[in-house]
Amino acid sequence: MAGNWLLAWRNIWRQPRRTVLTMLAIAFGAALLVFSIGLQLGQYDLMIQNAVRLYQGLFQVQQQGYHDDAKIRTSIPGIELLARKLRQQSGLDSIAARANGFALISSAKRTYGSLVVGVQPEYEKYVSTLPGVIKQGRYLSSDNAHELVIGESLARNMKIKPGDEITLMGSGRDGSIAASIIPVVGIYASGSRELDRQLVQMPLAAFQDIFSMQDHGHAIVIYHEDVKQQSQLHAVFKDLIADQQQLVVLSWDEIQPGVKQMIELDYSSGWLMYIVLVAVIVFSILNTFLMSVLERTREFGIMLALGYTPYNIGRLVMQEAFILTSIALIAGTLIGLGVNYYFYIYGLTFSGMDEIARMYNMPAVIRPQISPDSVLIGPGIIFLFTLLAALYPASRIRKLEPVEAMNHI
Amino acid sequence: MTTVVSCKQLNKIYQQGSIEVHALTDINLTVEAGDFVCLSGPSGSGKSTLLNMIGGLDSPSSGEIMVDGQRVDQMNKSELAELRLHKIGFVFQAYNLIPVLTARENIEMVMQMQGDSKQYRHQLSMAILKEVGLEGLENRRPSELSGGQQQRVAVARAIVDKPCLVLADEPTANLDSANAENLLQLMRDMGEEHQTTFIVSTHDPLVMSHARRLVKLHDGKIIENHEQH
Amino acid sequence: MIHTASLLIPLAWRNLWRNRRRTFVILFAISLGVWAMIFTSAFLRGMSQQILDDTIYNLTGHIQIHAKQYLDDPVIDHRFSLIDDALFDSLNHPAIKQISARVRVPAVVASEQDSTGVTLFGIDPENEGDISFLQSSIIAGRYLDTAADPGVVIGKKLAERLETGLGKRIVVMSQDKNNEIVDRGVRIVGIFDSQMDGLESSCIFMGLQTSESLLKIKNDVSEVAIILHDSAQLEMITRQLQQENPHLDIQSWKQLEPLALVITELYDDFHIVWHLIVFLAMGFGIVNTLLMAVFERTREFGLFQSLGMKPGFILAQVWIESIFLIVLGLVLGNLTGWLSVLATGDGIDVSAFAQGMEMVNLSNVIPFVIIQDDLLLANLVVIILGMLTSLYPAWHASRLVPADAITRV
Repeated sequence: MAGNWLLAWRNIWRQPRRTVLTMLAIAFGAALLVFSIGLQLGQYDLMIQNAVRLYQGLFQVQQQGYHDDAKIRTSIPGIELLARKLRQQSGLDSIAARANGFALISSAKRTYGSLVVGVQPEYEKYVSTLPGVIKQGRYLSSDNAHELVIGESLARNMKIKPGDEITLMGSGRDGSIAASIIPVVGIYASGSRELDRQLVQMPLAAFQDIFSMQDHGHAIVIYHEDVKQQSQLHAVFKDLIADQQQLVVLSWDEIQPGVKQMIELDYSSGWLMYIVLVAVIVFSILNTFLMSVLERTREFGIMLALGYTPYNIGRLVMQEAFILTSIALIAGTLIGLGVNYYFYIYGLTFSGMDEIARMYNMPAVIRPQISPDSVLIGPGIIFLFTLLAALYPASRIRKLEPVEAMNHI
Repeated sequence: MTTVVSCKQLNKIYQQGSIEVHALTDINLTVEAGDFVCLSGPSGSGKSTLLNMIGGLDSPSSGEIMVDGQRVDQMNKSELAELRLHKIGFVFQAYNLIPVLTARENIEMVMQMQGDSKQYRHQLSMAILKEVGLEGLENRRPSELSGGQQQRVAVARAIVDKPCLVLADEPTANLDSANAENLLQLMRDMGEEHQTTFIVSTHDPLVMSHARRLVKLHDGKIIENHEQH
Repeated sequence: MIHTASLLIPLAWRNLWRNRRRTFVILFAISLGVWAMIFTSAFLRGMSQQILDDTIYNLTGHIQIHAKQYLDDPVIDHRFSLIDDALFDSLNHPAIKQISARVRVPAVVASEQDSTGVTLFGIDPENEGDISFLQSSIIAGRYLDTAADPGVVIGKKLAERLETGLGKRIVVMSQDKNNEIVDRGVRIVGIFDSQMDGLESSCIFMGLQTSESLLKIKNDVSEVAIILHDSAQLEMITRQLQQENPHLDIQSWKQLEPLALVITELYDDFHIVWHLIVFLAMGFGIVNTLLMAVFERTREFGLFQSLGMKPGFILAQVWIESIFLIVLGLVLGNLTGWLSVLATGDGIDVSAFAQGMEMVNLSNVIPFVIIQDDLLLANLVVIILGMLTSLYPAWHASRLVPADAITRV
């Protein structure tokens, strides 16, 4: 057995130049796939992290139907109690209740339609980055304070600064008019155009008061930093609210299907390109495998005459392919990994990245993901396809007749 | 008589690992125009090396070679190619012909490189094919010809453009005696008819018997050099 | 030279077919690579043209004119007069195909059930023609008749959200030129269904004159969108308009929609990167296959040399053979690429990723588009790099030492 491997090893070095070129092709493919899959996954991680971290959370508990049609009446009663219960039973602190409404907000000069969100300041900071990105003034102080924070673009458009009062007018949960004059205490800059332009936050109690919500709210936002635990956590929270059938636990990909779909679209088009590339590489090197069998017909004839079976020779050829491919894949993977590691440390950016990053609210630097998945998927695919390619010439050996083969030139 | 080939103090030393192999030692040889010279000796005696060197396919370690008044040992690759193209014809033991070309195309190839017109080439190649007895086989590829026929095509190609020198390296080695006899007769006839000088290496007594001059080599040295007949 | 060429060309062609199986394998690799280049190019080109079309022909136009400050703060205050001789003169330019003047201000719409913030467009329906998607995407009712049409057209999503529909009334609220809140009840005369949910849920359209009278700004507009006959003149016309109207803010779509610009430029760059990657993948195969062909013909090259063929011609012989190979691969690749683009018809339907597509400003069907420049690029990359790489095996053939080559069995 060991002798066979040694023979295979010597055989692949009978044509060093050809072997090296073939290895280079495979290694190039492996390095490229490791790099680009790592980069892709790194980018997706970032997109998901940002989508989840900024505002929407990993999960939201909502009244059934609220997500599709966000009506103020589709609310959850006793939302603060429910949020507290979830915190206690799950052991997670990063759970906060919210209520959402729409109102016209007016400064001395301007009027805009705006989303008004009631939050629990104490817990909001665990589920969203908004409380941490106050640019002027301060964040909401307590559950009961009568104050609000406003996005940077909206503040600029309305020409207001912390300390100014704004008039808020909308309709309450019971259809009554919701109106109030309320001071702005802080201006946030989240980096998300959408939020900065149209969202204001106030303490939940104040919101419930103004919008006649009693103890109702619309969503309990649950954040957890490890997106990979999504399915386990989803089950946990589903269990916790099992007693209230009208409630649902939505995951980030249901709340923000756009992000998920963009990733899927990118992933599938990426895969299409990888498959095509691997196919080109495989056909590129198929000739090497083919010739290494065809030009040795005579030699195989002698081996057959010496008592080798076609199976033995076929296995030898497969062993040669295996050694060659493995060495090349290891080298290519290491190169790809090295490149990924470099960019993991220093970050990768390109011209135009700034624009895109701002649009999707991401940092303008991508760091490749370095994980078993990102490192092994690409080379694994190449390995599979290359050995498939090697099967073809190896299978031809079965047809060899010793005398005929020996007379072959 | 003019001298076509002259070798003076020719040496060829191969480096084989750390060992020096003296393939040729102090060779002095002159060949006159129209001669039919046979280089003989056992394998490894230096016949092929000497032929290759005269044809400029290999270069000597020391000494000088003149072919038709030109110093072969001082030429660069491209001058050597010119020399071979215009003045020297080759016949090898086997694989003489380009497999993807027909018999006629093989013969015309050299003329084509020399820039002869299509019509002229055609005329000449058909004539020579007739002379070597291959009329009607002109459109066959080498794989469709017998060994003897292939060697005839090779001879036809070597002399078709009237070079002053034809070098043949064991041309009969792969032929049976009848075919070998035929080929030798052909070479002699052609040599006389076209005034071409032949240097043939061989260890075949039949070939030696046809030669006008016999040169025997042993261990890279000329041990005998005399005229026959 | 010429005589030798007439020898070398048939020689090269016949040599190419000496080992048919090997030639077919590498030909397949090259064709597959070229196919991948062309098909991917067509896909990317389709995407980027789609992005540009969706950007330019969804309200943006090639060039937009606003009052200074409007882009920062898009409100009624920042408007300009259309009865302006200088502006009128400079818009009367032969390169300009269409001019659309609009009122475009934030507003709030309320039905009996709900209210929300939107952008109110006052348009002259006759002049919107090419610029906007609106006319072609009406699914119920009708498009606006004239600039004085008293009705409004709203999106399907917005109608659903407001629980209203065709023929019903909604109240539009905005600020007039004196910063007073004005409102008017209007009837919905048309519903549109855009491929982009964002537009559908955030825009309402009314007649230009109707909106001007609502906001008390006779003959004033917020924006003028311009379509050019030839987009190649974009920079020039923009500059000219800017010089002639220094008091206005005049920008091309490239400044207005930097994201679309960046993405399309990235796609352009990616063409080249992808071509190079695919070429590398097949380049190894080309070199390896040609090297095999050269080494198994060693004896023959020796023979050529002894017959007086100069090394340069031997190089040319192998080189011509490889050019035949590459050109054949190109022909097949172009043909299959073109056929497969034909087979995709109008494009591929990616509506499964609709919300993800919208994040990059794309509609649900991506057409495959082949343009001359892309074809040229792919073919040039392959032919130039292919000729360069195959110089290596050709050079190898030319520097074989004749004596060795001849005596090798």
